[in-house]
Amino acid sequence: MADGIFPVDIGPQYEGEVIRKADMRVEFGGPNVRTKFELVSIKPPDGVTHEKVEVIGPDIDVLPEGSSQPIALIVDVAGARLERDIEPVLERRLHLYLNYIEGFYHMNQRQDVWMRLNKASFGKGLKSLRSLGEILIFLYTSEIDIIEKIQVTFITDPVKIEELLPKAVEVYRSRDEKIRGLREADVEEFYSCALCQSFAPTHICCITPERIANCGAINWFDGKAAYQMDPEGPIQAVPKGDIIDPVRGEYRGADRLALEKSMGTYDRVFLHSAFGYPHTSCGCFQAICFYIPEADAFGIVNRDFEGDTVIGSPFTEMAGDTSGGRQVEGFLGIALEYLRSPSFLKADGGWYRIVWMPRVIQEMYRDACPMDLHGKIATENDVTNVDELVAFLDRAGHPWVKGEVKLPV
Amino acid sequence: MARNERQTREANDFIRAGDSWEPVGHTPLPGILELRNWDRRLLQTWKPFYVPVTDKCSLCTYGECDLSEGRRGSCGVDSSAMQARLTLRTCCEGLAKILAQARRLIDYLVEVKGRELPVDLGDKIGIEAPHIRTVLGIKPASLGDLERILCYIEDQLALLLASANTGFEAAVSDLESKAMHASMLTHTVMEAADLAAITGFAFPSSKADTALIDVGLAAVDTKKPVILLVGDDTVSAVCLVDYLRHSGLEGKIEVVGMGPVAHDLVRYCPTAKIAGPLSALPFVLRSGIADVVMCGGGNLLTDLLSETRAAGAAFIATDAGTACGLEDISSDNTEEILIELLREKSILLPDPSKAAAVAVEAALKLSASRSKAPPPESSGQHEAGKMRVGRGPVMDTEIRKVGAPLVLGTIPGVIAIVGGSNYPGSPGDIADIAEEFAKRKYIVVLAGDSAIAAALKTDNEGKSIYERYPPDFDAGGVINMGPGVSSAHISGAAIKIASIFAALPLRANYEVVADYILNRVGACGLAWGACGEEELALATGCNRLGIPVIVGPRCIKYGRLYLSKPGETDWSVMDGRSKQVVDTGEPSPEHLVNLLADKGAVIVALAKLCMRKNDTPQGRATKLTHYIGLHRQYFGKLPADAHLFIRRASDIPIFFKKELQAQLGESGWQEKPVLSLPTLVGTYRSQVTLDDVVH
Repeated sequence: MADGIFPVDIGPQYEGEVIRKADMRVEFGGPNVRTKFELVSIKPPDGVTHEKVEVIGPDIDVLPEGSSQPIALIVDVAGARLERDIEPVLERRLHLYLNYIEGFYHMNQRQDVWMRLNKASFGKGLKSLRSLGEILIFLYTSEIDIIEKIQVTFITDPVKIEELLPKAVEVYRSRDEKIRGLREADVEEFYSCALCQSFAPTHICCITPERIANCGAINWFDGKAAYQMDPEGPIQAVPKGDIIDPVRGEYRGADRLALEKSMGTYDRVFLHSAFGYPHTSCGCFQAICFYIPEADAFGIVNRDFEGDTVIGSPFTEMAGDTSGGRQVEGFLGIALEYLRSPSFLKADGGWYRIVWMPRVIQEMYRDACPMDLHGKIATENDVTNVDELVAFLDRAGHPWVKGEVKLPV
Repeated sequence: MARNERQTREANDFIRAGDSWEPVGHTPLPGILELRNWDRRLLQTWKPFYVPVTDKCSLCTYGECDLSEGRRGSCGVDSSAMQARLTLRTCCEGLAKILAQARRLIDYLVEVKGRELPVDLGDKIGIEAPHIRTVLGIKPASLGDLERILCYIEDQLALLLASANTGFEAAVSDLESKAMHASMLTHTVMEAADLAAITGFAFPSSKADTALIDVGLAAVDTKKPVILLVGDDTVSAVCLVDYLRHSGLEGKIEVVGMGPVAHDLVRYCPTAKIAGPLSALPFVLRSGIADVVMCGGGNLLTDLLSETRAAGAAFIATDAGTACGLEDISSDNTEEILIELLREKSILLPDPSKAAAVAVEAALKLSASRSKAPPPESSGQHEAGKMRVGRGPVMDTEIRKVGAPLVLGTIPGVIAIVGGSNYPGSPGDIADIAEEFAKRKYIVVLAGDSAIAAALKTDNEGKSIYERYPPDFDAGGVINMGPGVSSAHISGAAIKIASIFAALPLRANYEVVADYILNRVGACGLAWGACGEEELALATGCNRLGIPVIVGPRCIKYGRLYLSKPGETDWSVMDGRSKQVVDTGEPSPEHLVNLLADKGAVIVALAKLCMRKNDTPQGRATKLTHYIGLHRQYFGKLPADAHLFIRRASDIPIFFKKELQAQLGESGWQEKPVLSLPTLVGTYRSQVTLDDVVH
């Protein structure tokens, strides 16, 4: 790999390497260190010196063997086509790239970052953070053409990190706020992802700020970044077009997309309903929203759930009915993160129409579940069949069963 | 070939066409001609390449004829047709071997459990029989169904063998098509056999983390009486373990397996041992550890009997398939047989229950009277390692889970390592090859003797690859599927991908499914050791299904490869979206079956063979990263053909972008379209249409 340029090899074969404490030359960040963060920012061109790597504070070769050190990793990039929205996507590349390095691992992100270098790679000559910076610059510029200038700064001086940390935390906070607050109404473009068409020819994912791709791997910001990086690639911008049905989430642009990419199989798509013209599913969805006629409501089952759901079918069986790029009313492949969307199944009653889900999912998404529903959605521990489910819902006083939920019109 | 009304009715009855689980595709219960057009299309791109072992043909009584320098024999056959006929015969022999194995097993299970016993693979396997569904069009529900499936395949075998007679078929393309038919049916019957075994004997299924068992002569406790099982007679192995359990002798006698039966033995009884791959059989016999050797079915060594006698052990042939010239005394009672065995030291006893009792009693007696030295520590045969017990079919949930990573390229492909041992290089090479791909996050699946050989190389902590990598069908997983017949679950997993990702109907839809796999599923096989006939059939069956295979130099004996030619082969496919034929210029997969002797060359070729025309840019970039990285690792330079696989700049791996750009410039590279619906359908005559492909 870029033979001889760097002291150690780089490549995907090094992802997932475990570096035990005994093999560790030095670690940066991690649970033993309070002052640590990583941040990628898009800057104006004159604020970035291309290919500059700076190390502020002691470097690897002078740090005590086996020690845990503070760290700030700051990457500044500039480019006419780079938009601020994709900063988090660029920042997540740090995780990927650093794990490509032989004998180096990277965990977590932001102010929780944790990196380790092993003794073998230190022995091969990876003795300076400067080398890491050079590798990062090599990978960023190799992958992302729209980066015109890039500089990398490592800080190991705890006083300086302490000074910058609150500013980084503020950046993270404002990014999160923006991501959480962004609505379909705020943007002009959605993104389509055709990656799965290589396996399921009539499926197309329509990604909006309120609907992450079914696989859970690509949100609207990822879509935007991917499109900016490769405008001819499998992720394309979709002009949103007029809104036809704000409740079901039908947009003229999404309909046009469905028609074109399904090879004429479908001409309408509701982004937030499991009825009528539901979003199609490839084979990669993380979970299925399935209709339970006896309760006139929905269950959710995730891919890892073993055994039968409340309607007697396991995930696998229902997945067969859901997948393959078809519109199947009452079966909707979703990413779990869609449960956090303010438009989650909006037309059908959203969370208030959910009556069953595995316990682990209920725990994981407790914060997204409306407070007045807590304890009212059954899990596999509460019921094993539909009769028991109906009795449970009556007993628990589920608002949908009590007729307290009004569907939007 | 059109069926008449009666034949159609019977076929529909056979597959229960009225069951509405999926529409019946174009080729239910295919005969010799039904998939011929597909074969001819494959052979147009990947042409048969013959390496005859001899220029002389002595297949019929007209000859011997000299076929050198383009001459034809008295019957008119030329060298290629002779070799193709031999290929067909070999594939038929392979099919027959597996059929016999399946027949013995299913007959036994029908006898003891009844035809109604439901096929049961556990709760995580919904598509129980991808091959049987795809080839025949039936969902096998019971042992009785599996039995009927064998009958259909036996009929086909008779017809195939008839055409292999002298004076019959001499067209190379038809001989090859028939070899492919026999080979497709080999996968099908392998699947039937393993479904029966898992169902009938409750072998592990729907579970990834099966038990870790000991492999290697060093793991055998020679202080105990030792019974060595060799061959593929699963029934005898199961009966032996049952006998030990019922008589309270389990743990007091060391039961050791070699060959296919070894896998089944440990699936049934994880405290049993495997002495090593079959290539170590002569050494194991001569080491004298065995008190009794039981042999059923094939085992490569035809002098097993004399080797066993020379080592002072008793020999029981358990199956008519290898009767060894011995007298059949199964009508005698057990005491009489035991006396005869102790006196003569060898008997034919095709009654599994009696064989079990006699073997155990003989082992107890003989062990007490023999003094056994521990095996010598020379010749590298003293290794031991852990192997995970064969786990049967890949679970549907696992297939679904790898969907996104396969699409995104984080899993670059599936590498299947199967077949016999006795590799061209060191025995540890097979573990090295598996590990190279596991650490690069491919899914590595093994079966048969290769799965056993891979257990014998351990790291400095004494751990084999089965202990170092997860047992899941997922990125970086290393899986043992089971014995040779379990190889069908590997090709079956490729079929499941078509069903699960694309919801493609499998039922009697072979051509569409094979086209899907050929163009979309980055899986390839390696059968690097000495190949038996069934392994040629296994490889050829993979080829018909669109899966390329690399074989080792010992397969030169079979004298036929399917190769493309640089600069000559037409790599056009139909773009299902634009309905235009597109010349991709991309040799993917480059060959359907190729022969390589060098470990590095094998590794690089496997990485290259995982590329498919439908790869997403991310997927292609990852696959190229590994191909180029491995090429540099083993050959010290970038591959000269990397540019052929780059369609757009986004395909270029980031690690080599700057270097590759120079190569692209020199080669006059130009951007090519990235096809998301490449297919061969529409480029040849077929009843299958583009609508079937899009579904």
